[in-house]
Amino acid sequence: MNNSDEYCKPGEFKPIDLLAAAAAREVCDGDVVFAGTGLPMLAITLAQHEQAPNAVCIYEAGSIDGRPLDIPTSVGDARCAHQASKASGLFEAFYGQLHSGYVDLGFLGGAEIDKYGNVNCTVIGDYNHPKKRFTGSGGNSDISSFAKRTVFIMVQEKRRFKEQVDYVTSPGWRVRKWPSGEWVPKQELYQSYFKGGVSTVITDMAVFRFDETGEMYLDTVHPGFTVQDVIEHVDFKLNVSRVSGQTLPPTKKQLALLYNVIDPEGIFLP
Amino acid sequence: MSRPEKISLKEAGALVHDGDLITFSGFTIWRRPVAICYELIRQGKKDLHLFEVQGGYHSDLLVGAGCVKIWEGAWMGQEMLGKIGENLARKQINGEILVDDYSHGHTAGRLMAGALGLPFFPCALAMGTDIFNPEYDQLAKAGLRDGNHRNIPAQKYVMAEDPFFGRGECALLPAVNPDVALVYAPIVGDEGTVRVLSQSYNDAEVIKASKKVIVICEEIVPDSHLRRDPAANLASGYEIDYVVECPWAAHPTGSQFYYDSDGDFLKNYNRTVRDQKAFDEFAEKWIFGVDSHEEYLEKVGTKRLGELRASPIMGYSTRVKRGTR
Repeated sequence: MNNSDEYCKPGEFKPIDLLAAAAAREVCDGDVVFAGTGLPMLAITLAQHEQAPNAVCIYEAGSIDGRPLDIPTSVGDARCAHQASKASGLFEAFYGQLHSGYVDLGFLGGAEIDKYGNVNCTVIGDYNHPKKRFTGSGGNSDISSFAKRTVFIMVQEKRRFKEQVDYVTSPGWRVRKWPSGEWVPKQELYQSYFKGGVSTVITDMAVFRFDETGEMYLDTVHPGFTVQDVIEHVDFKLNVSRVSGQTLPPTKKQLALLYNVIDPEGIFLP
Repeated sequence: MSRPEKISLKEAGALVHDGDLITFSGFTIWRRPVAICYELIRQGKKDLHLFEVQGGYHSDLLVGAGCVKIWEGAWMGQEMLGKIGENLARKQINGEILVDDYSHGHTAGRLMAGALGLPFFPCALAMGTDIFNPEYDQLAKAGLRDGNHRNIPAQKYVMAEDPFFGRGECALLPAVNPDVALVYAPIVGDEGTVRVLSQSYNDAEVIKASKKVIVICEEIVPDSHLRRDPAANLASGYEIDYVVECPWAAHPTGSQFYYDSDGDFLKNYNRTVRDQKAFDEFAEKWIFGVDSHEEYLEKVGTKRLGELRASPIMGYSTRVKRGTR
């Protein structure tokens, strides 16, 4: 195995490898992480091998602090519960862990996002007469409501980064208060339940973060892309005043971990 | 106190009536009561109202076969093996089915309230989302929240101030008490004690919340064996009404320590059933084209079932090929 901390050069890694490495960097040591299947699993496991050995993973189906030997394809997989501290259920995961305030970091995906981090994973078009139907919320809304930080991993397309998403499945920093429909800051609606919110969006082109007012800004651009490329793939006026540089590529050690240790069967990494 | 009655798969299917509100055990592609869902389709059930924390192959099948009128839940799909419930998506777009969306926390809470005999569950999850948008309340729009439908609450939710500690508003979500729970558990005792062998998902609440509970299991064992380790058990026999012994009843979903989920079968299903004709062909081959569960298993084949069989040490198959390397 290549244990070098040297960064890979262009051509030495695939886009998904960089996504996994960028997502892994969002994990702090000791974090209690709520993760879904796929990339989030690769990211949390990679982080546990590196800077966050004490990070704990909860899967929403009910396994708590599991230490899977083989990467799961479902959060309900038997693999998730291997060496877990507890094999519980959704009630424990969503209320005993999330609602009660233990969860530091959530990893989620979505189909559309707006500049306040409101995410849609339910329908495209008018909800009453949809053009396309996705999976629906699952734990997406709950995790984005209650995790102290939430990282979204998404595909960068103009039609997905919208002024207003077609359906708000998961709350961002400005949300609507029903039944009036009035837009209010998340803190105002959640009051004593407020714990935090969307912190980062990682796409196949860039990394975005949120400023003090809860508005999205461009932080880093992945190797091979420019700030202009990103602007052209966002359908709202993007704040590019805080760009800090290029997203770091994965290291040789990270690549070796991903392919040889974390996903040797080639389930998520082809 | 009474012991559950042991019945056949066909008899179990006959206990579900058109228009019933039904719910299920399991999570997406694990521990789903698939064999009984095949049977409900063969028996031509109609107008079912499904309430589930999250759906999967079992419920997408019922939807595809035209057995379902209302679907309430938080999510529908096969996770990494197919990210959308294809039949539910198609039928919602066509307006053939009423879909009412919640979050996972909401559905788990509604079921827990039902299980505990409480009228509602309070929580602050998913506030500020379109789940609470009154314009999108499909059951209200269809005129079903008029108090004349026994399984449909008069309101989707109520926002209420905390009257005790002044912590602010949170949502009160109505309890759900399904007519029938269809539960797959690997092991049931001869007095009805139920054991699952890993994460319990919402299975305990599904059992307690429902008026009639049918458990489909891999094997029935002496209750005395399960009573040696009471902490490992999920439910007591008096909570269960009927038991069906039916090995491999969860296929193609998985059962921890018995068999893995059948990834190829599920991926193929999701790729195949994107239009009604393709679904009907699938149903003809796998549901109507077999006379019994045994015949279905013969069709899957002993080679495939052998590959899926779980290692008794690891709890999942160490032989099935899952990836590309």
